[in-house]
Amino acid sequence: MTGPAPILFANVSKTFLKHDGTPFFACRELSFEVKAREIVAIVGETGCGKSTSFNMLLGLQKPDVGDIQVLGLDPFSESDALRGQVGIIFQNDRLLPWRTAIENISFGLEVLNIPLTQRRQTAEKWLERVGLKGFADAYPHELSGGMRQRVSIARAFAIEPKILYADEAFTALDELTAERIRKDLLELIRETAITTLFITHSVAEAVDIAQRILVFGRPGCLISEIDCEENRATGKSTHEIEQLIRESLRIAHETIPTEEVGRADGVASKERESI
Amino acid sequence: MVSNTNGTRPSERIKFVGELGAALRAQQPLFVGLCVIAALWQISTYFLPRIIAPPLQEIAVAMWQIFSDYQQFVHLLTTGLRVFVALIVSFIIGAVFGIAMGTFDEVSKYAKPLLHFIQGIPALSWVVFAVIWFANVELRIGFILLIVTMPAFALYIDGAVRSVNLDFVHLGQAFRANWTQRFYMITIPAIVPEVMSAWVVNLGAGVRVAMVAELIGSTAGVGFQLLNAQALFDMAGAIAWTLSLVALLSVYLGVIRFVEFRLLAWRPKGERQ
Repeated sequence: MTGPAPILFANVSKTFLKHDGTPFFACRELSFEVKAREIVAIVGETGCGKSTSFNMLLGLQKPDVGDIQVLGLDPFSESDALRGQVGIIFQNDRLLPWRTAIENISFGLEVLNIPLTQRRQTAEKWLERVGLKGFADAYPHELSGGMRQRVSIARAFAIEPKILYADEAFTALDELTAERIRKDLLELIRETAITTLFITHSVAEAVDIAQRILVFGRPGCLISEIDCEENRATGKSTHEIEQLIRESLRIAHETIPTEEVGRADGVASKERESI
Repeated sequence: MVSNTNGTRPSERIKFVGELGAALRAQQPLFVGLCVIAALWQISTYFLPRIIAPPLQEIAVAMWQIFSDYQQFVHLLTTGLRVFVALIVSFIIGAVFGIAMGTFDEVSKYAKPLLHFIQGIPALSWVVFAVIWFANVELRIGFILLIVTMPAFALYIDGAVRSVNLDFVHLGQAFRANWTQRFYMITIPAIVPEVMSAWVVNLGAGVRVAMVAELIGSTAGVGFQLLNAQALFDMAGAIAWTLSLVALLSVYLGVIRFVEFRLLAWRPKGERQ
């Protein structure tokens, strides 16, 4: 691979304030990168800074220390320059209830000021691509959980982004639906050769999707990095790779400093308040 | 499931007619209640003097005159127009305040107590102030309606803006929508239900206040006609004007419900009022 990594975290630290005023590290000296066209998954237990990292990548929060770059830009201060470059699939589909499926898919295109006819055509193409032809005018409440997540996937891809973020995209779905959608999404990712960063707490899901897995531990730091493709090349089975990750997670869990135990959700943050 | 992809929703008209029918059927208890009251009223007319309980036919004649004689009907129209214009102006000002309060904490910090203070002043006091302050009748009534209904619009909209689902706000931010785009793509559609509720509440308040204002300081309108009826001890006329006003209010409410139905068509049936 040549050129700078599309996603770069360099010594990123992020602190929140607890209700009693004491600091809480959500991320500490976190460094990693995602190369172009690479599919990387972040796994870690609850409270290990996955969501904080995700929010910082989206530009919703600013790191206290360190540097984050997305396509060479700071996602917080140069947010506008990243318009249309990043597709996002959220844990809960976040479909706007007042918009039909096709209008939801058009959301990102509307942000990009694409003319109505063109965005309708693009949205219809993606609606068909995710297997929902015939549901263009259905409102979110008329769709099943799986269908809604498919619309959310179509919304992410419709803007033809260079990077895809997926934050626990299948957590809210039942196992069978999740598996089916995961397979379709992987197909889309491979077809579009998009740089992808997955955040998940499912080891099996991470191994199923990613080429490389970053194991996070508390407080928001990188415990280990597992190259799935390399491991597979050396003859390791999927089960063995999963075991490797689980072992890393176990070590991460056992080394949590007692003062760091807690969840970022339960603490106050200046950024959180200001959003 | 709807399968049309060309942007039109042909099933919507059928759906609307069906829901209208259901809405009318839901009003059945009201019709029954009104019939019972009418029957009891008619019975009471046999025992009470006409000045206290005029028979239904006399009230019906008075009502017919209101709706058939333009000289009388214009009073109903005047009140209707006053309420309509005042509520529109009130909504615009209230919306600006509400959005500013919901968006900027500093504005809310100072404006909210002031609006609550204004709300605490009885409508009748505003009527007295307006009579003293303004010589022009229309200005007087417009001011009273504005001052009474605007705070409610502002406070409702402030609350609605503040309670926009943060997930949707983050969605807009994540897709790098600018403030204006987030405002018209997320905030406005999200606050529509609250705005409609504010209209329903303010319409009732507006009509009541308009009556008081017209009673005291006007030479036209339903309030003025009620004053005349009182002066002439014309009970049938007073009831007829009151019923006309209720009819006007019902028409306005019907319009609001229709707009609400159109704007909130996306809501699951159970969530609609």
